[in-house]
Amino acid sequence: MSKLKLSGVSKAYGATLALRRGDLELMAGEVHVLMGSNGSGKSTLCKIIAGSVRPDGGKILVDDQPVTISGPRSARAHGIGIFYQELSLAARRSVEENISLGKLPVKSRVFIDRSELRQRAARYIGLFDGVCGEGFSADTLVGNLRPDQRQLVEIMKALASEAPLLIFDEPTSALDRAQVERFFEILRDLKRRGRGIIFISHRMDEIKAIGDRVTIIRDGETITTLNLDDTDPAAVIRLMVGGAGDMPASQSSVPAVVEGKGGAALTVRDLSGRGFRNVSFEVGRGEILGFGGLHGQGQSAVLRAIFGAGSIASGEILIGDSRFDAANPRDAIRRGCAYVSGDRSRDGVISGRPIIENVTPIHYLRDRLLIARPGKLRDRVAPALESMHTKFASLFHPIGSLSGGNQQKVIIARWLIDRPDVLLLDDPTKGIDLSAKADLFALIRQLAAEGLGIVLYSSEDAELLGNANRILVFNGGSVSRELTGADRTRYNLYQAAYEAA
Amino acid sequence: MAETATVPTYRRTGGIGRLLERYPFLPALVIVAALLLLNGFFSPNSLTLRALTGLLSTYMALILLAIAQTYVVYAGDIDLSAGAILSLVNVAIVVLMERWGGGAGAVFLALAIGLLLGLACGLVNGLVVAALRLQAIVATFATSIFFTGFALYVLPVAGTPAPALFWRTYGGRLFGVPFVFYILAALVILVAVMSRTRLVTQLLAVGDDQQAAYQTGLPVITTRIKGYVLCGLFSALAAFCITGDTASGDPLVGGKMTLYSVAAVVLGGSALSGGWGTVVGSLLGALTIGLINSVVFFMGTPSEWQNFVQGLAILLVLMAGVLAGRRARS
Amino acid sequence: MSRVVSFVRQPIVVALVLIVLLLYLGEALSPGFATGGQILRLLIVASLLGIVAAGQNVVILGGREGIDLSVGGVVSLSAIIAGNVMNGADGGILPAVAACLAAGAFFGLLNGLGVTLLRIPPLVMTLGMLGVLQGLLVVIRMGIPSGQAAPALSRFVTQPLAYGIPGIIWLWIVIGILLALMLNRTVFGHRIYAIGSNEHAAYMAGVPVKLVRIALFMTSGMFAATAGLCLLGYSGTSFANVGEQYMLPSIIAVVFGGTSLAGGKGGYTGTMAGAVLLVILQSILTTINIEESGRQMVFGATLLLLMMFYGRGRAMRA
Repeated sequence: MSKLKLSGVSKAYGATLALRRGDLELMAGEVHVLMGSNGSGKSTLCKIIAGSVRPDGGKILVDDQPVTISGPRSARAHGIGIFYQELSLAARRSVEENISLGKLPVKSRVFIDRSELRQRAARYIGLFDGVCGEGFSADTLVGNLRPDQRQLVEIMKALASEAPLLIFDEPTSALDRAQVERFFEILRDLKRRGRGIIFISHRMDEIKAIGDRVTIIRDGETITTLNLDDTDPAAVIRLMVGGAGDMPASQSSVPAVVEGKGGAALTVRDLSGRGFRNVSFEVGRGEILGFGGLHGQGQSAVLRAIFGAGSIASGEILIGDSRFDAANPRDAIRRGCAYVSGDRSRDGVISGRPIIENVTPIHYLRDRLLIARPGKLRDRVAPALESMHTKFASLFHPIGSLSGGNQQKVIIARWLIDRPDVLLLDDPTKGIDLSAKADLFALIRQLAAEGLGIVLYSSEDAELLGNANRILVFNGGSVSRELTGADRTRYNLYQAAYEAA
Repeated sequence: MAETATVPTYRRTGGIGRLLERYPFLPALVIVAALLLLNGFFSPNSLTLRALTGLLSTYMALILLAIAQTYVVYAGDIDLSAGAILSLVNVAIVVLMERWGGGAGAVFLALAIGLLLGLACGLVNGLVVAALRLQAIVATFATSIFFTGFALYVLPVAGTPAPALFWRTYGGRLFGVPFVFYILAALVILVAVMSRTRLVTQLLAVGDDQQAAYQTGLPVITTRIKGYVLCGLFSALAAFCITGDTASGDPLVGGKMTLYSVAAVVLGGSALSGGWGTVVGSLLGALTIGLINSVVFFMGTPSEWQNFVQGLAILLVLMAGVLAGRRARS
Repeated sequence: MSRVVSFVRQPIVVALVLIVLLLYLGEALSPGFATGGQILRLLIVASLLGIVAAGQNVVILGGREGIDLSVGGVVSLSAIIAGNVMNGADGGILPAVAACLAAGAFFGLLNGLGVTLLRIPPLVMTLGMLGVLQGLLVVIRMGIPSGQAAPALSRFVTQPLAYGIPGIIWLWIVIGILLALMLNRTVFGHRIYAIGSNEHAAYMAGVPVKLVRIALFMTSGMFAATAGLCLLGYSGTSFANVGEQYMLPSIIAVVFGGTSLAGGKGGYTGTMAGAVLLVILQSILTTINIEESGRQMVFGATLLLLMMFYGRGRAMRA
């Protein structure tokens, strides 16, 4: 029988439709994988089940009974436990308190039952015995843990709910292989005991290893549900990206050697700092240098450090021929360096403000402006936005009224009014739609043709292979391999990324 | 795998850091000890039992008010009406005690009503801030005006005396030991018991990350309301002490004390953003304010400079409190 | 339809509607309340609060729990400095203005340095500064007399200057226009909004976050000092802690004007309406013939009621 059934669940945030039509049926004793590209609505769907997002419409059945989930507490009462992708931990509480936070054991009705708390924590910590890593204990504050350890605590917390129905929204993104193995053993055991499990991951090998069925979501709509045994990864990916799937990756391959534009735009020698060590490379004018490898191997840290927003312990950076050691982003911008982050909401978007104010800050700084005359600015801003086919109603609408892809275009347009010499792209296409990606890469290649030196880190191999002249593969904070010319293949990239991991 | 190598320093290992993490009020304790020494240095008499009793009976109300404030700060809220609640309970119990004749029965009945009044005020604050989602700073300022108005209604001008039974007990001795020490002992026990309750952990979890607490299934709104109710109750207790100390009713007595209670909480190393702190720290913070005032006096500071030096000293220890608290949390 | 609703729900529209309603109410309760001269008197009082609220407003806009509790202390300090520097002579006005602005800027600078360099929360820093200022006031007051306002200053504040409207109201209007221009038409203004709505993104886009924030606190100090100067002109001489009555009301005026305490959202025009609203409310309460206690209770309850119209926090469930 079905443990959980969703039909036609929808959710809109203002004008943005996060989930158009979510359908899902979860059986007892199965691991049901949810797949879809970033922003397709998977997390929204999970949060609706877990009660932390209120659906606009649709039906939810638990054990074939229609239910209304009025909040996280009500979800727990209906036997639903969840691992949140962004974690739901109290950083200044101990591991044991966090594990039981949803239902703290009490004695005499008001006091915390410490011994029960400890026992319960020991039970779930024990499941991960040997893979928790150094410094992990029941009384450590969660804020003092490493990211992978925090993720383990969130897993333990979800398990401690002992809910018949468990949701894991990207639980493995920071875990190492041993931790993932152990986690999968636990999941298999839960499966045997008849729990229903919803599982989200982007790693195809993990999905193959643990999943029974897969439901594919695209643009907020459930496309289909398949048996994983009856399908292959390529088919799943085709379903995920839809008809447009062939567009960006299969563009004519970029030349391995750039025609002589004269000299290096950016030179980095033996750079070490927090998160990376002994990184050296050179980017020529007109060249696009790719950074590849698994997520979080130091690529972002290097780019941020160059931009003056990270720490540098030793090493040397040159832009053109002159030494470049930006004390902060302001300094870096003044000296012709540009940085675009994929984490728009954290690093880029000035939320709640008009589009025009989101395009102009770099211009203000580089032209040392004091007065902001809308008429005059409009003439500078409009061409920058148009060069990427940005869609907007007016420059004075809030940036929040745009889709994610268009917001990112606005952020990039910032750098086009006064051209930089070096452009650092830190996974710039995270969570944006395919047509926006295509516009973006067309622009990047045009900028390179105009003589900018560009560094592109992307978590999507296809973007690197389709746009980079050379690719440096990062592993554990340093460059493990350089792929040039005909070596730039998906296979080599994949192999280099997983080599030592 | 790689994360270990790439991002090495997530745990702090320093002994001081560990110690601060476990006992965040240590800096406040050191400051209190230093101030006591200074007091003793400038005026040896100030360390006598008699002088310390005086200090305690004067600042016991602020100590309680600081503790009251701590429980709302735990959850990331603030209560600017705590002083007004204190005033209201002060005049209410004084008027009731007088009306009922000032006997032991009247005193206890009045105190019980005072506690209920504090509870009701806290409940109003909690409903307004947590249930109606008004901004804590402005909403509790508005309720403070309301409570002050109510206090003025109960007793329009300061001056009604408290019954002798009440203030003699507060300022007197029991079995040879000054009564305020019993209060202090009872308070320490009460606070220790409180710290083991589920509510305190929930308050701290809510203050740590409200959204996460909600997603975890904690009753966030109820928890915050309970925090304000606790604050109201402890403000009422503070009112009992101020009544014992001043032996009279004054509808404006607590007005100035609110901001001091906030300062005491910060001095104790608690984070105003919530999720981190100790009640003991606030207790020490309130004592710090009292001791600063007395050191400045005993130092022989010219009278016109005393307020300034006090203000400056408090600003400096406030900054120290914030910096030490951050060090403990980093 | 929805456009009408969203227009009506704008805080400034709410405030203006409430102002008109309150004027009607005042006139009904006490005939003569809403006459021209009476309204001008209300506006003079409102302009004092409004000028303090101007500084409070920009600090709050700058975000990171920005708030300035020291404004009350600066108002008092400025009044006493001004009274002594001018000491009843018109020739002393300019030096007094300079001295007051310098003092306001100085204490604002201290606040700003504490908040940015030492990362002390603004509430704590400015609360501590308030204590220092109050102590300083005692020192000054013990040493020197409270001083007198220059006749020209008193005329500026209380007597009509042009078109029958007193100078202080003109000054307030000019401040309103200048602030609106600054917030909307200058790079500095855009940077205030940028750090208020997403400080990290602003930093990554090259905004000198710390400098801007220090400037905000200095601006707040200077506005408070200006208000203190005008307050001296209003009352003729300075009293102890005259400024204290402005500390929390200046925050309420900002909130009633639709500026979010979270920062990055709002503006000064609304705050001006908020200040007028607050003053009219207080004034109506003084015209009603009830005890002070009842007046305060009604005032507190009305404030709470009005807050229901403004930026209530977001529900936790999205």
